[in-house]
Amino acid sequence: MKKEPFLQREGTKSVLASLLSILFGLAFGAVVILIVGLTSKDLGADSAWEGIRLIFGGLFSTGRGSTGLLTWGFNGQNIGNMLFRATPLIMTGLSVAMAYKTGLFNIGAPGQYLMGTLVSLSVALGIPAGSMPKAVIWLLAFLAALLAGALWGSIPGALKAFLNINEVIACIMTNWIAANFVTWMFGISNFKNIVENTKSSYIYKTTYGLVDGTYVSGAGIATAKLGMDKLFPGSQVNGGILIAILFAVGVYVMMEKTTFGYELKACGSNRHAARYAGIADKRDIVLSMAIAGALSAGGAGLYCLAGNTEFFWSTYQSLPAIGFNGIPVALLAVCNPIGVIFTAIFMSMLSISGLQLTNLTAYNEYITDVIISVIVYLAAFSLVIKMWLGRKKDKVGAVNANAEPAPKAEPPAGAKPEEPAAAVPGDGEKGGDAQ
Amino acid sequence: MSDSQDYVIEMLHITKEFPGIRANDDITLQLRRGEIHALLGENGAGKSTLMSVLFGLYQPEKGEIRKNGKKVTINDPNDATALGIGMVHQHFKLVEVFTVLDNIILGAETTGAMGFLKKAEARKKVEALSEKYGLKVDLDAKVEDITVGMQQRVEILKMLYRDNEILIFDEPTAVLTPQEIDELMATMKEFAREGKSILFISHKLNEIMAVADRVSVLRKGRYIGTVNTAETDKQQLSNMMVGRPVQLEVSKTPAQPKEEILRVEHFCVPSHVHKRNAVNDVTFSVRAGEIVCIAGIDGNGQTELVYGLSGLDKSNGGTITLCGEDITHLSIHNRSKNMSHIPEDRHKHGLVLDFTLEQNMVLQRFKEPNFQRGGFINAGAVRKYAERLIEQYDVRSGQGPITRARSMSGGNQQKAIIAREVDRDKPLIIAVQPTRGLDVGAIEYIHSQLVAERDRGKAILLVSLELDEVMSLSDRILVMYEGELVGELDPKKTNVQELGLYMAGAKREGKEASA
Repeated sequence: MKKEPFLQREGTKSVLASLLSILFGLAFGAVVILIVGLTSKDLGADSAWEGIRLIFGGLFSTGRGSTGLLTWGFNGQNIGNMLFRATPLIMTGLSVAMAYKTGLFNIGAPGQYLMGTLVSLSVALGIPAGSMPKAVIWLLAFLAALLAGALWGSIPGALKAFLNINEVIACIMTNWIAANFVTWMFGISNFKNIVENTKSSYIYKTTYGLVDGTYVSGAGIATAKLGMDKLFPGSQVNGGILIAILFAVGVYVMMEKTTFGYELKACGSNRHAARYAGIADKRDIVLSMAIAGALSAGGAGLYCLAGNTEFFWSTYQSLPAIGFNGIPVALLAVCNPIGVIFTAIFMSMLSISGLQLTNLTAYNEYITDVIISVIVYLAAFSLVIKMWLGRKKDKVGAVNANAEPAPKAEPPAGAKPEEPAAAVPGDGEKGGDAQ
Repeated sequence: MSDSQDYVIEMLHITKEFPGIRANDDITLQLRRGEIHALLGENGAGKSTLMSVLFGLYQPEKGEIRKNGKKVTINDPNDATALGIGMVHQHFKLVEVFTVLDNIILGAETTGAMGFLKKAEARKKVEALSEKYGLKVDLDAKVEDITVGMQQRVEILKMLYRDNEILIFDEPTAVLTPQEIDELMATMKEFAREGKSILFISHKLNEIMAVADRVSVLRKGRYIGTVNTAETDKQQLSNMMVGRPVQLEVSKTPAQPKEEILRVEHFCVPSHVHKRNAVNDVTFSVRAGEIVCIAGIDGNGQTELVYGLSGLDKSNGGTITLCGEDITHLSIHNRSKNMSHIPEDRHKHGLVLDFTLEQNMVLQRFKEPNFQRGGFINAGAVRKYAERLIEQYDVRSGQGPITRARSMSGGNQQKAIIAREVDRDKPLIIAVQPTRGLDVGAIEYIHSQLVAERDRGKAILLVSLELDEVMSLSDRILVMYEGELVGELDPKKTNVQELGLYMAGAKREGKEASA
């Protein structure tokens, strides 16, 4: 019973495969920047070099100095914003990862996220300010979101368990039902922001509170900062990130250490054997999806209740990208709940880098979307990469983990048919330009 | 020894390692043209690995393969096919929703202009082959609808369609009825007469003695020797295979039945494939300290009977009384309080293949107070328990308790299930084909375990398709035919012929009753 050498362990290979995907993705982005820079009249080698540096280190960019050169250093605002963006991603990533471990592919995260949005905002804005302590309203809104997500997630779960309907199909349908339902509900609600005319398509921030029938700024609720604002001054981050991390640890413990997690996993990897052993397989499938749904919706709750976010309510034509991005986050983390924390933060770091790119150079932020897409494809390929690592080991004995990534573009052709949906760089949060 | 030109395939000094295990250690296998060469060994002896090397699924660390005396490299199954090597895998590689014809031509389609399939041509060729060798198949039936025996004929036709001349049969008889086995043997001999060379992987000594010209024996990854079947006997072969003298007969004392444990009355289970009941009005009982065997040809309702008893399927009539308690409508969980169940299909029901051995060992018991505290699994207790079972029941695996069940050999998977079920220590043990696909050593072990449990006062209900097993192990025989019990026999007063008459009330063609 020797332990396998470090490099041959399953876990090591998984982590290496994910890291390689990331490196390839970043390298690919660098190549794109280089090509755009060298072929454009307005840009050039210098700005391409700046762009590349921002892609890799945008998080630590502090703007331009008096000489016009990029300056670098600790940037609390960037890091804080990164953590803020990571908060809901951790939750949707957990949702997908947890379902995957129980043998279910939860592509319904966007729908569950939307239901969480609807319910958390409705509770937060619906309870008159001052009728109860703000903390209680916040907690009620968050718990209601969890509950709504659980119910919404359990629909495809029940269809799968009792009627053997593929959960992917059921999830996709419930996604669009959610999108239309949420639009309709907000459409007939009083929560539309009519104070600021320019924002008539948005729902009030939760910092608005209902006072004598009108919404007053500052009377509402917002997630407690829990000291995060001191750590990362000037950023949007709040205590939500800590809650999300707590959830990740909780999911990890539940799946790996409890009899409940054992039961869910047994059911997921062999439903027949689980049944044979006296496990209630149908109940467990519904429960898995319900928990996954609650996690996604919880992400929405943490995002919406932050107090500084606005929701574009006419969402019937698009699904929130945060929901779909849960899939690459989970895949990159090989569905390890603790890994999800890091991959979600990494994905958010890329979008921060994108913003830096827009702000400081003539490039635009969509380059980071390209990078994310490449990484998503490679994450789907991570199995192939794992096998490749295995072969390499066979031949060389040990593989050098951080071999320089050849900057050749990996043509993302032939990805698994289910995966491309994850790559939709949708823009549901802001609705933006609906086709 | 003759010139190496006589050998159509030679595998010389093959060594293949997996993490923690050397599956093949310097193995040499030489196959003559036109012979049936049996490869004998226990589960985990390295037979399948060796064949996978020949078929290009694995690359050996050392050694070389020669065809007609010339060195060849086989990197994948396509290379093997190009060299004329074909294989019928133990678990068939067929597309269930395709027709028989589509399955046969899959991967070797002849196409005309624009890439359209020339199915008519293919059909003619397949029909000719099936005519020639008497391999009856329905070319337009879907694979999921045909019997296991016919599926195997499809696999054989696949090889013939590709004009393979070296045919590998991996445990081909494990899934067949006695009649089908006879037919297969005849077909294999016909192939050999035509000059095709056959590698026949098996651990059933009767069959090897009946059909093979030579036998090569492997044990624990090592090559033991090659003998001519004409110059050996079953006892010598089994000794070579196991490495010690093996008892081929079950030794047991007469049963001393005590109180009634299981009583089944007018029991009915509906069928999933036809409107009639798969199990119809069945009444019997099993007492403590006896082994009652349900004999019958596969598909006569045995599977459904066990599903009904264990709760995997719903019954639609009659009652089950276990230890004085009416369990007819109880959940699987509640029934298992007094019942151990060694399931028919160890991959489907018996094990969660992606779980580790230790996780599988507590599949029913993880909620018991010994193994959990406040909902948290007591990993230390689970590990200890698994280690004890592994030790006590001699379950072998690469990494002990943390081995993935999937990576274990079939025999050891079955041993693990038996360890788990026997150790649960319930008054009734239902064992369904507990030795299916296992080798002599493992069979000997499992039989002795069941007898030992009987002698400890357990009631044992055995379902078996193997006549030898039925005759040697049981204290009473119940014969099942078309869902009904058609006879009760005393193994001491009956013989195989009489038993066969009961079982073969009619040989059923077509669909199998499957759940």
